Formats: sequence, structure tokens, C-alpha cells
Amino acid sequence: MISAFFIFNQKGEVLISRLYRTDLKRSIADVFRIQVVSNSDVRSPIVTLGSTSFFHVKINNLYIVAVTKCNANAALVFEYCYRFISIAKSYFGKVDEEAVKNNFVLIYELIDEINDFGYPQNSEIDTLKTYITTESIMSTATAVEESSKITTQATGATSWRRADVKYKKNEAFVDVVETVNLSMSAKGTILRADVDGHILMRAYLSGSPVCKFGLNDKLVIDKSERGMGDAVELDDCRFHQCVRLDEFDSDRTISFIPPDGEFELMKYRSTSNVKLPLRVIPTVNEIGTTQVSYVVTVKTNFSNKLSATNVVLRIPTPLNTTTVDCKVPSGKAKYVPAENVVVWKIPRIQGGSEVTFSGHAQLTSTTTRQVWARPPIDVDFQVLMFTASGLIVRFLKVFEKSGYNSIKWVRYLTKASGSYQIRF
Amino acid sequence: MATSMRGLTQFIADIRGARVRELEEKRINKEMANIRKRFKDGNLDGYQKKKYVAKVIFTYILGYKVDIGHMEAVNLISSMKYSEKQIGYLAVTLLMHENSDFLRLVVNSIRKDLNENNEIYNCLALHAIANVGGQEMAEALAEDVHRLLISPTSENFVRKKAALTLLRLYRKHPEVIPAAEWASRIVSLMDDIDLGVVICVTSLVMALAQDHLEAYAVCYQKAVDRLNRLVIEHEYTATYAYYKVPSPWLQVKLLRLLQYYPPTEDPTLRNILFEVLQAIMNNCAEPTRNVQHNNAQHAVLFEAIGLAIHLDPNSPLVSTATVLLARFISSRETNVRYLGLDTMAYLAARADHLEAVKRHQGTIILSLRDKDISVRRRALDLLYSMCDVDNSDVIVGELLRYLKVADYGLREEMVLKIAILTEKYAGTYKWYVDTILELISAAGDHVGDEVWYRVVQIVTNTEDLQAYAARVVFEYLKSPSSHESLVKVGGYILGEYGHLIANDSGYSPIEQFQVLHSKSQFCMAPTRALLLSTYIKWVNVFPEIKEQLVNVFERYRHVLDVDLQQRACEFYALATRPAEDEVLQNVCEEIPPFPARESALQTRLSRKLTDAGDRRTWVHGGSVTLDRQATRRTTKPALGDIHGNGSAATSGIDGSNGANDITQSLMGLDLSSSPTALQAKTSFSELQSAPAQFLAEKGIPRLTTNHNVERWFEKLTYSSEGVLYEDVQIQVGIKSRFHGHIGQVAVYIGNKISAPLTSFTALLHTEEPDALSVSFAKIAPSIIAPRMQTQQLVNVECKKVFTKAPILSLSFLAGAHQSIAVRLPIVVTKFLEHVKLGQAEFFERWKLIGGPPRESQAIFPITLADSGFINTERQRQVVSGSCLNILDGIDPNPSNIVAAGILHMAEDGNVGCLMRLEPNKDAKLCRITVRSTSENVAAELQRLIQKPLSTDAVS
Repeated sequence: MISAFFIFNQKGEVLISRLYRTDLKRSIADVFRIQVVSNSDVRSPIVTLGSTSFFHVKINNLYIVAVTKCNANAALVFEYCYRFISIAKSYFGKVDEEAVKNNFVLIYELIDEINDFGYPQNSEIDTLKTYITTESIMSTATAVEESSKITTQATGATSWRRADVKYKKNEAFVDVVETVNLSMSAKGTILRADVDGHILMRAYLSGSPVCKFGLNDKLVIDKSERGMGDAVELDDCRFHQCVRLDEFDSDRTISFIPPDGEFELMKYRSTSNVKLPLRVIPTVNEIGTTQVSYVVTVKTNFSNKLSATNVVLRIPTPLNTTTVDCKVPSGKAKYVPAENVVVWKIPRIQGGSEVTFSGHAQLTSTTTRQVWARPPIDVDFQVLMFTASGLIVRFLKVFEKSGYNSIKWVRYLTKASGSYQIRF
Repeated sequence: MATSMRGLTQFIADIRGARVRELEEKRINKEMANIRKRFKDGNLDGYQKKKYVAKVIFTYILGYKVDIGHMEAVNLISSMKYSEKQIGYLAVTLLMHENSDFLRLVVNSIRKDLNENNEIYNCLALHAIANVGGQEMAEALAEDVHRLLISPTSENFVRKKAALTLLRLYRKHPEVIPAAEWASRIVSLMDDIDLGVVICVTSLVMALAQDHLEAYAVCYQKAVDRLNRLVIEHEYTATYAYYKVPSPWLQVKLLRLLQYYPPTEDPTLRNILFEVLQAIMNNCAEPTRNVQHNNAQHAVLFEAIGLAIHLDPNSPLVSTATVLLARFISSRETNVRYLGLDTMAYLAARADHLEAVKRHQGTIILSLRDKDISVRRRALDLLYSMCDVDNSDVIVGELLRYLKVADYGLREEMVLKIAILTEKYAGTYKWYVDTILELISAAGDHVGDEVWYRVVQIVTNTEDLQAYAARVVFEYLKSPSSHESLVKVGGYILGEYGHLIANDSGYSPIEQFQVLHSKSQFCMAPTRALLLSTYIKWVNVFPEIKEQLVNVFERYRHVLDVDLQQRACEFYALATRPAEDEVLQNVCEEIPPFPARESALQTRLSRKLTDAGDRRTWVHGGSVTLDRQATRRTTKPALGDIHGNGSAATSGIDGSNGANDITQSLMGLDLSSSPTALQAKTSFSELQSAPAQFLAEKGIPRLTTNHNVERWFEKLTYSSEGVLYEDVQIQVGIKSRFHGHIGQVAVYIGNKISAPLTSFTALLHTEEPDALSVSFAKIAPSIIAPRMQTQQLVNVECKKVFTKAPILSLSFLAGAHQSIAVRLPIVVTKFLEHVKLGQAEFFERWKLIGGPPRESQAIFPITLADSGFINTERQRQVVSGSCLNILDGIDPNPSNIVAAGILHMAEDGNVGCLMRLEPNKDAKLCRITVRSTSENVAAELQRLIQKPLSTDAVS
């Protein structure tokens, strides 16, 4: 299992160092610094040197590193690293070098709690927050009572939920957030299109309610059931630990006792029948060696009641561009020489409409004539109340002993950031 | 300048301040976009251009790809402001590679700067040429650089730079520089007053002379003279003394330069050189405490020792050097130990007697265990060089012992060297076989195939060795683990000669088979294939184990390896043929001795010797090792035997011969022979017409010719003093004195102009060095003051008959570089001495000598004196001027002249000469008859005497 856990900054200095087992020395950190941080060739998140494997995750110029000497489950180790990041985020907001330095005591406390002798332990944020606090110490009397509660909860059937939750107003919010990844060839064929979906839930419900959750009728998860018309096909999905998997396996119902507060109910991935919210049609011509002309059209591909917001197109220019003159009907377009792109920002595009960018880039002559690599156009956007996979929440039922009524809210959001790319 | 460019400073500060690479890239992209825009817009003034190009350069040196700004850089070069020009040149040297098209645009600007009077511009241009220096640029500008180098108006530092630039161009594109044509002009700069210039020029000459030994031969004298002035006369400015050592860099270069030439024959130069070397060695006798001083001294000393060894490995100087070296190899400083061993290895490679080196054998062997690997390497080289029959046992034994602990990098070379030494200096077969097998078993992986091939070759060729080798190899194979090379040797030798020992106990066929076969499973396919061949040989000689062998073939018939399978199948078929069949016997006939072949080992070793920089002046285990080997061979007959039928013996010599050729060509040993051979064929007139390039390449000065020169020369052939050459600047007069085969010629050189002649050089050149030796008594001064005369004595010695008079070539700087080459009036007749003979005596000898070929006769036209009579007076003058004794009263006809003389020669002894001249007034003809005991002398004498006489006829 995990033998050691480190956090390095950009320069390879050790910020956090925790050895869970004795099979490693503290100097193993130097090995990572030399072999990974200082070595720009290494791109792989897993590096195995001899019998030691380093798993690292980069976030905000920090390296979160787990080291193991045995044949550990790589997915588990990465999940652990990401879980650490989400815990850290919820405890002190941003995870960067400064935050780590400011909260190093807390971090040691956390990583000791969520890992024992290399084996990951309970990492439910809400639970953790009950006994790892950032506030001042409570009086001893309440502390004893509190700690016994924590013990019952942590060792009980629903370790993620306290028994005595009470709300005046019982509410549940469901957010379906989908991230679309696209890569389209110059000829318009789709090379890759997939959707990463998250279903986030905020439950403010009294007692220990049992929730039942229904998605599209035709939800298909198993590959053998494929090919049944317009069904929403999910390649794989993952549930929060509160979901009863045996029921899901037997009759595809999602039933669970939700933790109190915010949690991620489900994650899924879909690669078929992806509805692309935006279509980009670029026409780029190199005129001689001194000019490039651009005509880029963006079409929205959803009902005109909806709209795409915060649309940003990054249109690459040749490396020897001097100036670009841009004409746009809406939004603002500007040449950013530092990144060699024209950035076109459109605050809002109505569904079913289209906008066109046209421009000319002036080039300077170069000594060595080199072919422009033509990197892809990159599009960022957000569309509310739209799912690219077609997934829809049919119902959410709450059963509680007291039988109170609850209010449920559902929101959909489809977005793209950095991986919606069109070649030309 | 940098302070004024605020934008640039800011840009650099921004980049330095960027925390991560992405930020830096962004900043650079932004800046480059801005620069692109500015360049595109045009209308930039010089300052802006300079600033932006500087930014481009900075970006470029950070490692980013830059493909703009080249044109602006080119423009900046032609700017008139220094700072702009400087940035322009910097950009050109950094941004453009040597084949860049933009360089064509720059060439003209550079040429303009070279021609500029501003020496700083000259330097910038030279700098750019040296740094970029492509083929095209070299072709276009080498001429201009050369002009800057030789121009008398150039500043010293410009000339220094020009010399180094030329050196760089020559190293890169040797074909572009007409090295031979420029030789005399460049060499004359070695006389410059400024030592800095001399150092640079010497570096250049060193590089050029390596490829054009003959053309640059003048530099030998210059180098000796300069060394003499530095070391003996202490003629240098205080700034050039480095820790009290006069310009060690220059000394080292000069000493090295001298090593490229064969040892000089000129006794004067030789004496001066020995004096210089002696002085250098004396200076170093006491090491001082100052490290820098020691370094400088040692640098000079090691080169000096190298030169001393090169000049004469047996001179007393070298014994002094050996004492010094012995101290160095046990020095505490690693560098000194290294150099000491290296130089000693050179000595060992050259010297005939190794006693001096052998005295330190213990120390050298200890050096094999030095803590520094390069010292260990040198120790190995030295041991290799100093090995001979007497100490080969000790050295090879020591090397073998050391091999087991040696560094891996060193082992392969060690193995090769041990193998060569063992083969070369083996005293007995036993020792040879023992050593090589021990080597193979010890070194394992480092044994190249060549080594075991060679063992097999020698064992096959030496009949007496075969049984012993088989026995020993069997013993080695018995050890539980043996290396594959050993298995290969074992497989081959046991297969061929196993039957020789099969009757001894412990070596029975089945035992041999078991031992060998037990190794086969650990071996690679090629070795197994070899073992299969061994087995089929055994099937032939050991019928008793045929069953096991056939079993093996049977099994191998199913292996996957194609080669093995095929062998197994074929051998199986062969082995299972009926017993009376003779095919097997015929197939397994004993291997015949190998034909004589060059040892692959030597070739392999010499292949390792490649050098990038200045050539080494010697190679390890070079020429003399061969001679030594040969002499030992005669004293110790056992040595020859080892090579069996004599075939291998020659191959051993061939091997070292190969190395020899390299050595010889390196040292230019054929310097003296090749031009003579050529010259013998080329007559005087051919020489004149031969292209200058060719002559320069051969180091033969181009003769100055005009009518006067010929007349002066001819006159001097029969008189002892007179003018040899004269023009507006210089006058050369001659006074000569001969006694027997020795002569002394005083050459008076007068400066006729009112300025000094600088860089004056006088050289003598004989085309028949083994017949006539000429040398200056001392080196000519390098300056002749205005309207002054200097006298140079030339010592002459006649050894044999010669036909070509020696050439005196003079060169000097009087405004421009001038050179004159004239023949000195030293001819055979000068070495004649009078002899008195009576009439009877004369005719007795005349008859004794007889007719052709010992007689030479010719008829030629003559002019009569004004009076209409034969000009007897003049004829007598010519004849007696030629040192023949005119004998009156012998011939009845008074107008006939009869003369006799004895020619003295150091090597060919004395030769008597008789002459008879019979003029005929009416026919205006004259008959000359010369009889001499040597036919060459007769012909030459006849030619010499006839020439002035017949010239009269022509004029």
C-alpha cells in the first residue's frame, strides 16, 4: 500500500513529508525531485524506479505524490490523491503552495486520519469535519459526548450520516454537470466526442431518509444491452458510497441514505450519441507567405429557448504574425501575441443562431520557410439546462419515517473548457 | 551601451523574474510579436534596430527558435556606429550557421570592414570570419585576411587576430588556403618584434607546416633562432615572462613545431638547439615551491624532452632527461606523473637502449595502481612500449595480474596489448600458450575474437606446440566455469590435436568429450556450432566415442537455430555412413598451416589511434620497437622458432611495419629523399618552367634568373671571388677558399637601400645532400642595417661527385616581401688540387685510363680573339681557374693546353683528372678531352670547363 505521501512545490522542495511505513527512507523525496521534477521528459503520472513507484498528481504547481514499494492498485492510489485534494479544498479553499505552507499542521492531521499504515481510511469530508476542526478547542464535557457520537457514527451502518439531523424545510438540490470533450478533424468528422458527467447533490433533509433516484427510462449501462435506439448509453458510472449497489445491480434502482450536505452522488461517462451544443465551421486560407485569412462561423445546436454563455474561441495564428484585423458581429476579438492566438469572447449566443468571425493576419517574412502546424481552435462555453449526453433526471423520491414532504430542485449544465477542439 | 537600452534591460529583467516557464514563454511571445510588427513596419533608426536585434539575440541564446531579425542584423553590420556594428556582428555570428544564405549578403560588408583603416572594425570582421567561417566565406575572404596579416600597416593585435582567423579557416577548409604559396611570407612574420604576434603566427605555422613540411621548412631555422633568443639571450620584454619563464606558450609551440620536422642535419642549428635544450633542462633541475612557476617550466620542459628524444634518442641530453623523468614519475602531483609516464613511453618507443627506462620498471609497475585512471593508462602504454625479450616475463606477468583488478574501460586495450607482447617477445612455446590461455580465462568478455583466432593460427602453424597446447587447454577447460572464448579455443584445438594426447591417462577421448560437452549448454549458438565441428572431427579420430557423438548430432537435428540444425544434419549423415567410406576421412583432413597473414591485433590497436587536434609526433610502440625486435631475434634463436614455419614470424613484423608507415609519414622521414629523386630527373630548365605551386610544395626555391645572374655565376666557377648577385636593394658577394674536400665560402650581403632589411633569412639548399654538404656557420641575423654589409660563412664539404650547385635563397622584408634564390658557385672543380706531372708520366696515365666511358670528349665552337688568334690567354685562365694545373711542354702544339688535377672527395676518395684542350683556329672549333679514373667526374669536368669557353663562342 502507500508507503509515503509527499507534497512538493514547483521547484521540487518538500512541503509535506509523511512516511506511513518503514520500507522507505525520507531521502526518497530526493529521488522524486531528481527523477521527476527536474526531468522535463517525464510526463507519466506513474514512474517506477527499481521497486519503488511514484504516483503524482499536479495541481496549481504542486506535486501531490504517493509512493509505494508494493504492487498497489494504481486507481486506488490516484483516487486517494484526488480525495486528498478535495478534502484540502473544502478545508482551506485553494490548494496552492501558500495554502499548504499555512495549513501544514492541519494537513498532517488530515493525512494521518485518512490513512493508517498505508491503508486509506474514511475520507468523507463531512465526517472528517466533525472531529478534525479548525476552530478552537471545545470544553471537555461536550467533547467527550461529541466524541462518543462520532465513534457511533463512524463505526455505524451509515458512517456518512449523523442520526440527529433536523431541518425546518426539507430540500434536496440535484445538479447534473457535464463536460464535453470534442476533437474534430479539418474535414468535419468527429475524431473523439465524449461527456464526463457528475451528479452533485445537496441534501438538507431531516432524520435518516431513504432516497430513490430515477434517470432516463432507457438508461443503458451494460455493453450487452447496447443498440436499443435512442437510449442514453453510459460507458461506466460510479456512485457515492451511500448508494446501495446490490439494489442497483439487481433492478437498476438507485436508492440511498444521503449524507448531510453536499456530495457527489454519481459520476459517469458517455461516448455515444453525444449532442454537440456548438458547431464551429472554420475556413482558414494562407494567402502567399504574408497573409492568412480567417472565416470562423459558430452555430448553436439547441433549442432557441436556451443560450450558450461565456463563449470563448481561441483561434491560433501563425508564429510569425505581426497584426490581425478582426471583424465580429458580437462579442470582442483581439490578437494575443503572448499565446499566438486570437481570442474571441462572446457573452451570449441564443440557441439556433449563428455568428461569424472574419479576419486577416499579416505575417512577417522569416529566414527559414516553415510550415505552420495549424493547431486546433479551442472553444469554451456553458449551456444551462442542456445535457450533451441526453441524460435526464426523471424523479427523486424521499421516504422518511415521519413522512414529511420535501422540495426537490434539478439543474442541468453542459460546459467545455480546454478540450473542445476543432482542427482546420 | 547596455545601460542606454532600457527596453532590453527591462525585457531581460522580466524574463529573469518569470517564475515558471509558461510565463517566460508568454513574455517572449509577446516581445517577439512586437518585434515582428516593428520590423514589418520598417522605418527603424539604428538605435531601435540595435535594441530589437539585441532582444532577438537574447531570446535566441535562451534556446528559443528565432527566425527573424537576420536582415536587420545584416543592415547593422554596415552601420557606421561601433555599437550598432558590434551588435550586428554578434547577431551574425550567433544566429547564422555557416551555410546560411544570409552570409552571402554579409561577405561584402565584412570585406569592407577588413579594408577599413579602423582597426577595431578589422577585428570585428576577423572575429566574425573566425566564428562563422563557412566554405564560401573562406573562399571569398581568406585573401583579405592574409593581406591584413602581412600588411606592414596593420596593428599588432589585428595581425594576431588575422593569424588566428587564418588558422581557424585553414583547420576548417584546408583546401581554400594556398598554404605553400604563402609560406615564405607567413614564416617571415615569425621574426616579428612583438612576441604576441609571434605566438599567433607560430600557431598558424604549426598547423600549416604539418601538411606542408617542405614549403615551411624555413620555419625550422626561425624557430631555432627564436628559441635561442628567448632561452639563451633572454631577449624578451618583461610582459612576456610568466613566472620568470620567458613566454612558455611560445616556447612550447616552437619546440612542438620542431618535432614535426626530421632532425636537422645542419651542425650549426643542431648545436644551438642542444644548447637551448640543455639550458631548459638546467632551469628545471630545481623545482620551486610556486605551482604556477612549476607548471610553466614543466610545460616547456616536457616539450623540450620530447624534442631531445626526437633529435637523437641516444644523446647525453636524453640521459639527463631520463633522470628528470624518473623524478617526475614518482612525483606527488598527478599531472606531473601523467606527463612523465607519457614522455617516458615516447622515449621507450624511440630509444635503442632501454636500460635507463628499465631501471624504473618497479615505479612504473606501481603506477599501474595509481589512483588516477589516466595515469594508469599511461603506465600501461609505457609498459607496452618498454617491453622487450628480457623483461617480457615480468611485464606480461604484472599486466596479467593487474588485468583482474583493472578498470573495465582499460581491459580491452590491456588484453590486446598483452596478446601482442606475448606473441612478439615469447621465449618459449610453453610460456606463450600458458600466458595467452591465462589471459583468455582471466579477461573473459574483454577478449576480442582476434585474440583467439591468433592463438589458433599460431598453434596450427607450430607443430611442436600442438600437443602441449591441447593438454593445457584441456586443463583449463576442466575448471568448473570457463569463458566462452576459452571454450572456442578448446573446441578448436582439441578437435584438431586432441588425438595427440588421447593416449595419456586423464586425457582419454571420452574425458575430452565430457569436459567439452559439459560447457556447451552455457554457450551461444556460434560456439555450439564450433563444438559440433569439433565432434565430427572426433568421429574421425576417436571411433570409440562415436556413439555419444552421433547422439549429440541426433539431438541437435531438432534445434531451432538454422545454422546448428544444418550442421547437425550434415554431420549426422556424415557420421552414420558405412565405416569403409572414406568421405569422412577426407573431410576431416588435418588443417594445413595458415598462410602468412598480418596480425589482426596490431591493426586493431592502431585503429584506436585517432587524434582530433594537432597531430601527435609519435605513436606508442612505434618504429624502433621493430629494430629492437629484429636485433634480438638474431641473438635469441628461440624467438624465431615460436612462429613455427616462419610464416607467422613475418606476419608479426608486417604488423609493426604497418604502424611504422604511419610513424614515418608523420615524421616526414622521406623529406630528404623524395625531392632528390625528383630533382635528379628535372633539369635546370625544367625547374624554371615548373609551376611555382609545385616548387613551393616541394620546398625548392624558385631560382631568380636573368642574364647577369648566369654570367656572374659562370665567372665565379673559375674565380674565387666576385659578385654573385646584385640589384637595387641588395648585393651579394662571394669569397671562397678550398682545401682538399673542405671549403669555406664567405657570402657578403650588402643592404643598398637606406632602410633596414627586416626578417632577413638565408637558407641553403642542396639537391644532392649525400654528395655535398653546405651549412652556415651561424644563423644569419634577422635584420641588416641600412647601407651595411653582413658576412655569412658557409662550410662546404664534398663527399661525392655532384652536378648541381647548391642554391642560396635569401628573403627579406623591404617594404614588400622579397626573395632571391641563386646558385652558389660551388662546383666539382673547386675541389681539384694541382698535380705536377712530367710528359712521360702524363701520357702513361692518359693511356692507362683509356677511352670511353672514362673519357669524355666534346667539340664546340669558339670565338677568336680580336687579333684573329686563338684567345689562349683566356683559355688558360679558365683552365687554371678551375684548379687544374696546366702542364706546359707536354703537348707539341703550343696552342693546345694540357692540364691535370686531383679531385678530393670525403667519401669517394681522390680521383685523378687529365685534360686536353685542342683549339683549331681555322675551323673556329675546339676539342676538349677529359680523362679521369671515374667516368662521372670526367663528364662533369668536361661540362664545367667547356661551358665558360663555349659561352665565349656564343657571345
